[in-house]
Amino acid sequence: MTLTRDDAQRGTPAPAPGTRTQQKRWRSADVRAGYAFLTPWLLGFLLLTVGPMLASLYLAFTDYNLFRSPSWVGFDNFTALFSDPRYIQSVKVTAVYVLVGTPIKLIAALAVAMLLNLKHSAQGAYRSIFYAPSLIGASVSIAIVWKAMFIDDGMVDKIGQFFGAPAGGWVGNPDMTMPMMILLAVWQFGAPMVIFLAGLKQVPAELYEAASVDGAGAVRKFLKITLPMLSPVIFFNLLLETINAFQVFNSAFIISGGTGGPAGSTLFYTLYLYIRGFTDFQMGYASAMAWVLVLVVGIITAVFFKTSKSWVHYSGETR
Amino acid sequence: MSQTSYPNLPAQAAGGVLLMEDTATGPEGPGGRVAGSRSAAQRRRRVRAVAFHVLILAITVVILYPAVWMLMSSFKPSSDIVGSINLIPTTFTLDNFAKALGGIGGVSFWTFFMNSMILAVASVVGVVLSATVSAYAFARISFPGRGLFFSLMIGTLLLPFHVVIIPQYIIFNNLGLVNSFVPLLAGKFLAAEAFFVFLMVQFMRNLPRELDEAARIDGAGHVRIFRSIMLPLMRPAIITSSIFAFIWSWNDFLGPLLYLKKPDLYSLPIALRLYVDQTSVSDYGAQMAMAVLALLPVLLFFIVFQRYIVDGVATQGLKG
Amino acid sequence: MRITRSAVLGISVATTVALTLGACSGGGNGETTEPGAGDALDTDRDITLTLAWWGNDDRASKYEESVDLFEEQNPNITVQTQFQAWDDYWTARNTEAAGQALPDVMQMDLSYLRQYGATNQLADLNGQIGVNLDVGGFDEALLASGNLEGGQFGIPTSSNTLALFYNADLLDELGIEPPAEGYTWDEYDAWLTEVSEAGAGEDPVVFGGPDYSVTFWFFLQWLIQQGVEPFTEDGQLGFDEADLTSWLERTQPLRDAGVVYPIERTKQLEPLGGFTVNEAASEFSWDNFLAGYVADSGTDNIQMLPIPSGDDGTTSLFFKPSMLLSSSASSEEPEAAAALIDFLVNDPEVGRIFGTSKGVPAVAEQRDAMEIEPGSVDERVVAYEESVTDQATEAAPIPVEGFGAIEAEFKRLGEELLYETIDIEEFVSQWFNGAASSIPQS
Repeated sequence: MTLTRDDAQRGTPAPAPGTRTQQKRWRSADVRAGYAFLTPWLLGFLLLTVGPMLASLYLAFTDYNLFRSPSWVGFDNFTALFSDPRYIQSVKVTAVYVLVGTPIKLIAALAVAMLLNLKHSAQGAYRSIFYAPSLIGASVSIAIVWKAMFIDDGMVDKIGQFFGAPAGGWVGNPDMTMPMMILLAVWQFGAPMVIFLAGLKQVPAELYEAASVDGAGAVRKFLKITLPMLSPVIFFNLLLETINAFQVFNSAFIISGGTGGPAGSTLFYTLYLYIRGFTDFQMGYASAMAWVLVLVVGIITAVFFKTSKSWVHYSGETR
Repeated sequence: MSQTSYPNLPAQAAGGVLLMEDTATGPEGPGGRVAGSRSAAQRRRRVRAVAFHVLILAITVVILYPAVWMLMSSFKPSSDIVGSINLIPTTFTLDNFAKALGGIGGVSFWTFFMNSMILAVASVVGVVLSATVSAYAFARISFPGRGLFFSLMIGTLLLPFHVVIIPQYIIFNNLGLVNSFVPLLAGKFLAAEAFFVFLMVQFMRNLPRELDEAARIDGAGHVRIFRSIMLPLMRPAIITSSIFAFIWSWNDFLGPLLYLKKPDLYSLPIALRLYVDQTSVSDYGAQMAMAVLALLPVLLFFIVFQRYIVDGVATQGLKG
Repeated sequence: MRITRSAVLGISVATTVALTLGACSGGGNGETTEPGAGDALDTDRDITLTLAWWGNDDRASKYEESVDLFEEQNPNITVQTQFQAWDDYWTARNTEAAGQALPDVMQMDLSYLRQYGATNQLADLNGQIGVNLDVGGFDEALLASGNLEGGQFGIPTSSNTLALFYNADLLDELGIEPPAEGYTWDEYDAWLTEVSEAGAGEDPVVFGGPDYSVTFWFFLQWLIQQGVEPFTEDGQLGFDEADLTSWLERTQPLRDAGVVYPIERTKQLEPLGGFTVNEAASEFSWDNFLAGYVADSGTDNIQMLPIPSGDDGTTSLFFKPSMLLSSSASSEEPEAAAALIDFLVNDPEVGRIFGTSKGVPAVAEQRDAMEIEPGSVDERVVAYEESVTDQATEAAPIPVEGFGAIEAEFKRLGEELLYETIDIEEFVSQWFNGAASSIPQS
């Protein structure tokens, strides 16, 4: 969740600090102190991350319901996934959310950041106000408010009817729940916007001046200066927002009452994983789902980093 | 932009620098122009300024509307809430709050509030303790395996955490720790939330090395260097981490949903969800009141610490 | 007031129990540990109990009132309550069961009793009977419905049967008569169409009723009318794909014509429904729902009829325990839990508070304490049960293990069918697929 821009600019995860100056031989006091200081993290890493990951990899190949001991079923869980209509539904729902919601959110974030960047004096307050939804958007409170606004005869229904839209709330209409969820995501454009804004401030003003002298218009400046100069930040935001979008859970859970309804239209991947794992107690099946998610997110991350070389520009970086 | 600057660079300072840029890059360069074209340019600028403000205000309205609607609805009678576009209550009532504060099923609202508070404060303590210590090892001590561990830690930043929740649940369940705060806090005290470690490593890397080298020459060990030199200097990073640890814990839903099954252990988000399930649709008022109460601490935190928060996001890419 | 149908109920429940016992004798390993006699309730120590039920606000206020009385009589006991709608209730209980954290006392349904009892989640209350729990007022056969292989895992509170509810005020407005006694399913469908046509001009639009075919119990009742025993004696399905298909196809014309209450609206009204917001004129349900309907809809003039008749002209109704109370096997306060159950099933005042809202009370003292004024909710429910006593010719189907899961899947697929995201063929194949994995194969 927190690659810095600088990491993105390097194109790889940050190397361990001080690798270059590292001596061949370690002082034994340092070694002892190093492991002593690292103990909390090491324990957490082994007990809460690596151990559970291996356990879930094992469980993914078993039938396990918490009441009886796991029984080995080979690849059955994985093959079952692809003949499970609800699983396929959850993949579709999540894919639409990621592929449609994330770009809209990022475009909104970039547009508002550029707008704010026009007038620096106003930034402080607006930046904070626009950021606020990112802080509370995933809370139960906001999910409840969202549902209340989009329900039958609710505010959005009334406004829609005023503009001639057919009557009816969005919450009960499987075709409208996804737009509703995407609006909730777009409403939280503040976090990527703040990052865009920080990136925009670093674009040297001389570049724009030089382009003006050459007679370049606004569009040309945007395409030739802003986008390339901003590409590391775009890369960073795109990666983070995509990974986050895969993991949306709270709002879908609250709005659908934990069912992914109506008619499976809010059955997000993580929600279905929760239903399988913690409602039906099919822990093996849910673990298989979790590992498929890890693989997909891993592949997407790798593809992002691979392709980034061709479109992310690191001007001014010595590489 | 220097990474260490994030919590230290006050918005005014940044704004000031940028304002100076503004005057330097304004359309009216040196040399002057004829009066007529200048006034036309001024008019154009004024029109643009008005357009800018109108647009920004429109966005602000859209952004704030849901939150303000929630706040105002909490003062309206239930029957006036759904479908009302009006923000200002026509009949003002505090009944919703009285009802929300009355709690659920014999458990007081303040029990939920205190549970959330205990979890949030303990999270802050856990995160600060474990992340500073671990970050010191990563940033300031050289020992074999450090590079590998650091890469692994970065790897966990991108790992979908759903892959660990099922085994974690099974483990805590077998240990009889479901219905305790332990599963929710273990990760905080064991630095399992890597972004806090990462944030502190980044911060510490940029502190001058001469400080600890001087101390080392004076015979100070790592414990003393960490306590007497690093910790005081890390104040900004600690504050930023604390704020986010608090807010994330306060808003956490899935964790308490999995591990807290008894009403007197519920945190606010779980209580709120139960409340929504238990009341008929007609009782939106109390739902809104409780939603407001659940968000209030986060909003207060935000208002007080917004500069730390937003600058933290701007420089570290912290997510809200 | 004597409940004359109790004899019939006794017979049908006795049959049920005999079959139940027969069904499980093969599956169990027979190691029913004889629980030691419970200790007497401690009155000095502060005790906290948790109590959970499914239901609506109305039931909640009744439970709260009863719990207040219990706490008054037992000053050292505090009861923390929680309730959810039916689906959420079982999700919550499942998660708790996995963590050995079920509430001390919880409402139990026949469809889940076997699942929870068989996995050692529930306390065997035999040890508390005669100590903290008095079952002297129970009909033997009814009490036995909470018994699995000798262990008393639930205490039935009451019994119920199916009925058609209609909103008489709404029908008056539309100028339509309720269905005539002895009506058939086809006649009911025609009547639904008539009401929906008449209600189309109203504001809000009034429908005849929701699509009844997506509720599992109504399907089971229809099967019984067709002469099909829903579940076999060895705990498997007694019907096949063709039965389910023909049941769902019966109502397809209603869905096509838009006669049934729209699912979009139903979803947004939850936990209420079209019937309780006075936009649907009728609904099938268990007869004890009357109190909840009256409370939720704000309309007192809700009347009841038997369900439609099958081809042979009879309704083939059955009585079943409407709900039971169970205690968690992991409860730290088994004595106090038993005392709370005892209070809830025996105390006359509790009988007065609940009336028939959970079904007709199992214990005579509670039945007699009900305020049966002419026209009251309780009077209507009791009168209904009396009127159908001679129609209740069947034994309640014995829920198979996994019943809760297949019932929930029926409901979920029903929702998809109404949204037209699946068709009948997909409904049937998906439901049978799910049932195959939910019902343990013998």
